[in-house]
Order: sequence, then structure tokens, then C-alpha cells
Amino acid sequence: MTTHAAEQALQGRPMRSVALEAEQLTRRFGGLVAVNRVSFDVGEGEIFGLIGPNGAGKTTLFNMMTGLQRPSSGSVRYRGAEISTLRPDEIARRGLARTFQNIRLFGNLSALENVMIARHVHTRSGVIGGILALPLARREEQHTHERACELLDLIGLLGRAHQEARTFPYGDQRRLEIARALALEPTLLLLDEPAAGMNTNEKQELSIFIRGIRDRFKLTVLLIEHHVPLVMGLCDRIAVLNFGQLIALGAPEQVRQDPAVIDAYLGAE
Amino acid sequence: MAVFFATYGSLIVAMMLAAMLALSLYLPLLAGQLSLASPGFYALGGYVAAIISTRVVPFDSATQAYVWRLGAHEILRFPGPLYPVSLLIVEMLVASVLSAVLAVALGLPALRLRGIYLLLATIAFVEILQVVTQVLDLTGGAIGIFNIPQPFASQLGYAWVVVPLLVLSAFFVYRLERIRVGRAFTAIREDELAAAAMGINLTYHKVLAFTMGAVLAGIVGVISAHSINTWNSRQGTFDAGIAYLAFVLIGGSRTFLGPIVGGIVLYALPEVLRGIAAIPGLPPALAQLLKDGRLIIYGLLLVLGTIFFPQGLIRPNLFRRRKFEATRQVPGQV
Amino acid sequence: MSLPLFFQQVLNGLAIGSVYAMFAIGYTLIFSILRIINFAHAAIFTLGAYFTYALTGSAFGYNGLLKNSALPIHLPFLLAAVVGALLAGVVSIVIERLAFRPLRERGADPLLSLVSSLGVAVVIVNVIQYLVGAENYSYPAHPYGNLPTAINFGLGTRRIPVRTVQIVIFGVAVVIMLLLTYWLNRTKTGKALRAIAEDATTASLLGINTDRLILLTFFLSGMIGGLSGALIGSSVSIAGPYFGISFGLRGLAVIVLGGLGDIPGAIVGGVVLGLAEAFVPAQYIAYKDAVAFAVLFLMLLLRPQGLLGGAQLQKV
Repeated sequence: MTTHAAEQALQGRPMRSVALEAEQLTRRFGGLVAVNRVSFDVGEGEIFGLIGPNGAGKTTLFNMMTGLQRPSSGSVRYRGAEISTLRPDEIARRGLARTFQNIRLFGNLSALENVMIARHVHTRSGVIGGILALPLARREEQHTHERACELLDLIGLLGRAHQEARTFPYGDQRRLEIARALALEPTLLLLDEPAAGMNTNEKQELSIFIRGIRDRFKLTVLLIEHHVPLVMGLCDRIAVLNFGQLIALGAPEQVRQDPAVIDAYLGAE
Repeated sequence: MAVFFATYGSLIVAMMLAAMLALSLYLPLLAGQLSLASPGFYALGGYVAAIISTRVVPFDSATQAYVWRLGAHEILRFPGPLYPVSLLIVEMLVASVLSAVLAVALGLPALRLRGIYLLLATIAFVEILQVVTQVLDLTGGAIGIFNIPQPFASQLGYAWVVVPLLVLSAFFVYRLERIRVGRAFTAIREDELAAAAMGINLTYHKVLAFTMGAVLAGIVGVISAHSINTWNSRQGTFDAGIAYLAFVLIGGSRTFLGPIVGGIVLYALPEVLRGIAAIPGLPPALAQLLKDGRLIIYGLLLVLGTIFFPQGLIRPNLFRRRKFEATRQVPGQV
Repeated sequence: MSLPLFFQQVLNGLAIGSVYAMFAIGYTLIFSILRIINFAHAAIFTLGAYFTYALTGSAFGYNGLLKNSALPIHLPFLLAAVVGALLAGVVSIVIERLAFRPLRERGADPLLSLVSSLGVAVVIVNVIQYLVGAENYSYPAHPYGNLPTAINFGLGTRRIPVRTVQIVIFGVAVVIMLLLTYWLNRTKTGKALRAIAEDATTASLLGINTDRLILLTFFLSGMIGGLSGALIGSSVSIAGPYFGISFGLRGLAVIVLGGLGDIPGAIVGGVVLGLAEAFVPAQYIAYKDAVAFAVLFLMLLLRPQGLLGGAQLQKV
């Protein structure tokens, strides 16, 4: 719990509502259990971190929450509705946007086009309307363009809007992927190792950036991260996974001192 | 001038039809689907035209008119001897609908497959269709259908229909690439997984692109059937698919102009070679090669094209600068 | 259907099926190490048939550049088939060097290799047509020397004649497949090949010379394809160069049936297709060609990973 929420609870006020709920999520591959009965809640507006050593099952968990993999058992609910059986595009329509561990930008397309594509769910114009440039299509096209430019401006890439995405430096690509996800107007943002490959300064900036967009866009953020200090500084709550199981859950200070967590990370960081 | 058009009229029309067939392969390719199904829909369209014009509204030489009869009753009569263009348009509509229905029926299951599996499924589809049309009486069996009437007095007359069609389809694809649906196609082509994560319904869009290509191929089939005058199962073959693939690969697979240029130029290429072969004094072996080597050339182009210009000759970055100027100004930029 | 007829159909099916299987293994070998379908395999098959024909000293017909010509040698059929297969193997290597290697070096999408192989197939088949025309060519009668054209199986009154050709085909195909299986599982090179099929990067890190092995695979695949062509040619005669393309497309049905990249699958798939085609009732004989494609299509829709389910599969 965040201190704020704890204060609220102490004063008898209701806690913030639950955004994402994972319940007994399990994923088996043949004989292996990649994720083993993991349950946790993510509250609205929280920045929630998911950490654990390599191979702990974090990405599999993520994939189950974003429609890329079906759980073998258990469920995932977003704002009360079951999403574990939905396709990725249906999940996006529910307001969950994600980035990928290995950056999956549309490399040959420009930064602007990348972000514009993510406006898809918020526009309706079809083939006929578009081809004939009917008023609705024209308005939507204008709006899509504007919105995309705003987001590019937010990450400082507006000046290079027409540059091909694959030509951007690594750090810019990561931020571009986040901007693209934001174009979806999500209410839950899932970031898969957003700080991978960054140096300390960049990680700091990313931290500030994530907090900034959480506040500005009223998001809930769920992120997987390998770099423990970043997570400690940024997240309101953390879940720790090891060998597919949840071994700790709570505020950063608690988790940091948890013996099971220290054990799991022996030697790492 | 008149002589030029008289001699080359049918070639010019055929070149434009080839451009559209290339576009029909380009459309599914926009969404990342490599499909060799176009010859099947082309054949279907041709059969629609052949059947309607020779069986449903056949020519009655006594009255020099095309008569639609049901039983003993005459429903409609169209004066001949040229086949009415209005009926040609009806045929195109029917072919479009049938192609669309078949494309959706075929696409829904098949487009879940990727890459090589999809390609194989489309090849199989064309082969199955070919055998079926060879066997059915409706399609004239192995012999096919003859004496398909002409709507125009000369081959060049077809230009009245073909040129607007080409312009329309070119415009259609040009616009498509710049609108929301087209962007969805491109996203799918670039990275399906990411496209889905961004809210794009993969199946819907893949089937849509595939169906657009099918309808275009069907319409071209209708015109070809009249132009060639006969139609049989040899009109929609695997070979033809290879030719269209060459048009797109060499012409350019990344912009709407690529297939058009590819179709026009590469269709004409064997004819040019045939012309060269007619030059007296050429060794007969070479002349023969030039005359019959159409497929050898297309095949070689496929091999060379994949190695040396996988994106084709007409590439989008040839226009990139112009495209930037044409798009709305990005706020803040001068 | 009478029992003798039934058995005859089964034996026919097995004979053809075994060649389908052998042919399909050619595809499988290459797919398993390079993850590409080599459409040119169908053309190699055709070349094998034509090379063998030429090597038996038979004359070419009335069309094409080489009309009415014949090679001055007259090899007995089986020897011609072996030499023809070797030549086909060589052509296969040439194709690898010229068409596939440049693409591999550029890290090209496998689909481009597939398109390129389509081009190669079309070129080869049409060059054949240009050289020797599109007519039907029959191998010399009694290709198998003094063996009778048919051997009778069965006892007493129930005698089931089986064409010697079918028996030879079946025999050769089985021997080849056994040799291949032995080679893949017991010899060092064979195992190296399987290693590459599993994981090419690790294999090369372990010091396996991937380049040489790829060449070897293409050679073997070409040989097998060429031999299949000679065998089929001797059984049904060569119906023009395009008969190879049609056969090639059927081979694709086999590998999808059995599961891409799976040799036992190719064998099972080949036999299944052979039997399916043999049992097409007489009134639907015109649809026989479509059987393979219908099978291919249905398999792709219902169970793309093949009957044995061992194949790699990418679905949405």
C-alpha cells in the first residue's frame, strides 16, 4: 500500500479501487510451470513493479495479461471484467496498452506514422469514407495527426517526426514506443523492461518521465523491470517473482528487506 | 497513329489489365499477405462474364439482340450486335460479389496461416478451382466457353472501360495507403504482434485486404473474357500468378505505382522481345528464345529481383521528399 | 470392389506413395535446415526425368531446339537413372550457390527465398520446354531389362498382376529412405545435419561447417528429386516439362500432410496421398489431380502442423 492509501485506510476512507486483478494465474509449458498461481492486485493510479531474476516468469505473466498467451488456469480481470480470454486487439480496446521488451516499433515507418497507427481504436472511418475523404474521415485524420504530434512533442521527437523509427537511437526508440502506447489513450500502461539498455542518467530521466505521464494522463502503470534501484525509487508497490511464484508483495521498503527476496537476488545488483 | 493503335490496341489494353492484376496481388501484400490466389478470382470473373453473356443473355442472331429469357418468357432485350456495356457492368458487379464472397470464405480460415502456409493454401485454391472448372458443364468442361460477345468494335475500344478502371483502382490504392485502414494494413505488414497490441483486428483487416484483391482480379477477368473471346481453365493458372508476382516484385512492392509500372512494362517486355526476334538475320535459336521465353524471363526476374532489388524498382523513398511536402505541416516546423 | 482389385489399388497406391514420399523428403531436408520451401525441387525432379531419358539414348521429338537429337550413349535404365540423379544433384548445388546463398548472406526474409525458388523452377521448366518441346516422352520399353513387365502375386486362382515398374519403384524408394534414415541417425555428417536443423547458430558455434553441409543437403535433395523423376517417368512417361510442377505441388501436399520438416512425416504423408489417389473411384477420375490440392488445402485449414504434429508452426 502506498502511504497515502494507508493513511486513507486508517482514517476509514475507502481505498482506491482495483484496476487489474490477477488471480491464481498459472501457465504451463509441457512439463514446466512458468507461472505458478500468482495473485495480486494493482490499484488505480498506482505504479506497480514486477521484478525477479531472469526466467522468473515476468514476461509470461505480462503476456497472459495482454492476450499473447492464455493462462493454463486462473484469471485476469481489468476493472472487473475478465480479460484472459481476449485477443490482444480486444485488450487494447479495453484501455490496456503495452510496450515490448525487445522494442517492437514499426521500424520502416516514421515516428509520426508509428504513433498515428495507435490511434486506430479511437477512430472509426472506414475504407469508403477514407478514400472519398468524407467529412468524418477528414476530421479524424486531422485529429489523429494532431494527437500524434502532441505525443511526439511530449517526448521531444516532434522535430524528427518523419524520420524512420529504426534510425532513432535506442533511448529515443524506447520513448517512442511509450508515446505510441499513450496514443491508445490507455488507462493501464504495461511497460516491459522500459529501462533495458539505458545508463544511470537515462534511467533517472525515465523514472521521472513515467511518473510524469502517470500524473498527467491519470494512468495506472504496471512495469517489469530488472534494475532493482529504479523500481525501488519509482514504484508505489512491488511484486517479486521467482521461479514462477510470487515471493513478496508490498511497498518498496518492505520488499527490499524481505529475506526471500534477498535470497533470490543473491549476487545480482 | 491510327495504324499504331490498330496494331497495338489489344496489347495496350492487355498491359493495363496486367497492371490491375498486379495491383490485385499488391492489395493483400499491403497487409503482409503473400497470396497467389488472384488467378483463381480472375478465372472466376471470366467465367461469370462468359456464362452470363453466352448462357443467360445469349445472342439471338435472328433478331440481332441479346435476350434474357426465363422459360418461354422474354424478360429483357438488348439490341446488338455489340454486347451492351450496361450488361458488362452488371457482369462486373456479379463477379465482384462472387469474388468477395469466395474471398471471405477462403480468407477467414486461410489467413490465420502465415507466410509459406498461406502461400501454399492460395496455390492449392487456384489448382482446385482449375480442376473444378475443367469438370463442370456450367463452365464448359475441358473445352471452356466460346464465342463470348464483344462490347466494342475494336480491341482499342476496351480502353473506354479499362482506362477508367485502371485510374480508379490506382486512385483507390493510392488513397488507401494514406488512410486509417491502410495504416492498419501497413502495421500488420510490419509487425503483426505490435499491430494487434495497438488495437488492430488482424483477421478483419487481412481478410479485407485479401477480398479487395480478389474483387479487382474478378473484375479484370470479366473484361478479359470478352476481350479474348473464349474462356477456359487455362486462364487462371499458377503460371499467371508467377507473372503477377514478378510484376509486383520488380515493379515495386512498397508503393501503389510499383505494381502498375511493373505490370505495364513487364507485360510488354515479351512482346518487345518478340518484335526483336522478328529482326531478320538473328540466329534462329535466339529468336526462338526471345519469342517463347516469356516465362523464362519472368522467372529470371524473380530470382534477380529478390537478390538485387527486393523492394522493386519503384520505391517509396523516391517520392519521400515530395511526400513530406505534401503532408500537412508538422506544428513548429518551418 | 473385389479383393484382387483392392490389393492392386493398395499396391499401386504404395508404389506411387513411396515415390511421393521420397520426393517429399527432398523438400523436407532443405526445409529442416533452412526453413524454406524450395520450389525448384519440382524442377529438379523434372530434370532428373529428362536427363535419364537422354542418357538412355532416346531421341527427342519434333519441337524445341534439340529436336530430333539424341545422345550417342545408351545406358541401361537404372544406370541412366543414377547418373541422371547425380546430374540433378549438381544442378541443385548450382541453384544453391546462385539463388539461395546470396539471399542467405543478406539475411533476407525466407519468403524471398521462396519467391526466388519459384523463379528458378519456372526458368528451368521453361528452358527444358525450349530445348526439347512439351511432348510426351516414354522411356524405352522394358526399362528393367529382362524382368517381365508384370509379376503375379497371389495364390491359385487369385492372381494379382503388379507391374514390375511399381515394384522397382517401391523397392528403390524404400532402399533410399532406409539409407537416408541410417545416414541421418548414425553417421557423423548426418547427425551434424540434424544439429543444424535443431539450432543453426549453436551448430556453427560447435564447429560444424554449416556451409558445406548446406551444399551437401542440396546435393542429396537434388539427387533424390532427380531419381524420383526418373522413376515416375519410367512408370507413367513424361507428359511435358510441366508434369514436374504438378508433381511438385503434390509434394507440397505431402509435406504439409506429414508436417513440414519431419522426415517420418513425409514418408507417412506420401503413402497416405498415394493411397488416397489410388482409391479415387473411376467416375471421379478427372478430379484425381485435385485430390492432392484438396488434401493440402484441408490440412492447412484444419491441422497445419501435419498429421504427426511435429512441425514448426506459426499462427496468428
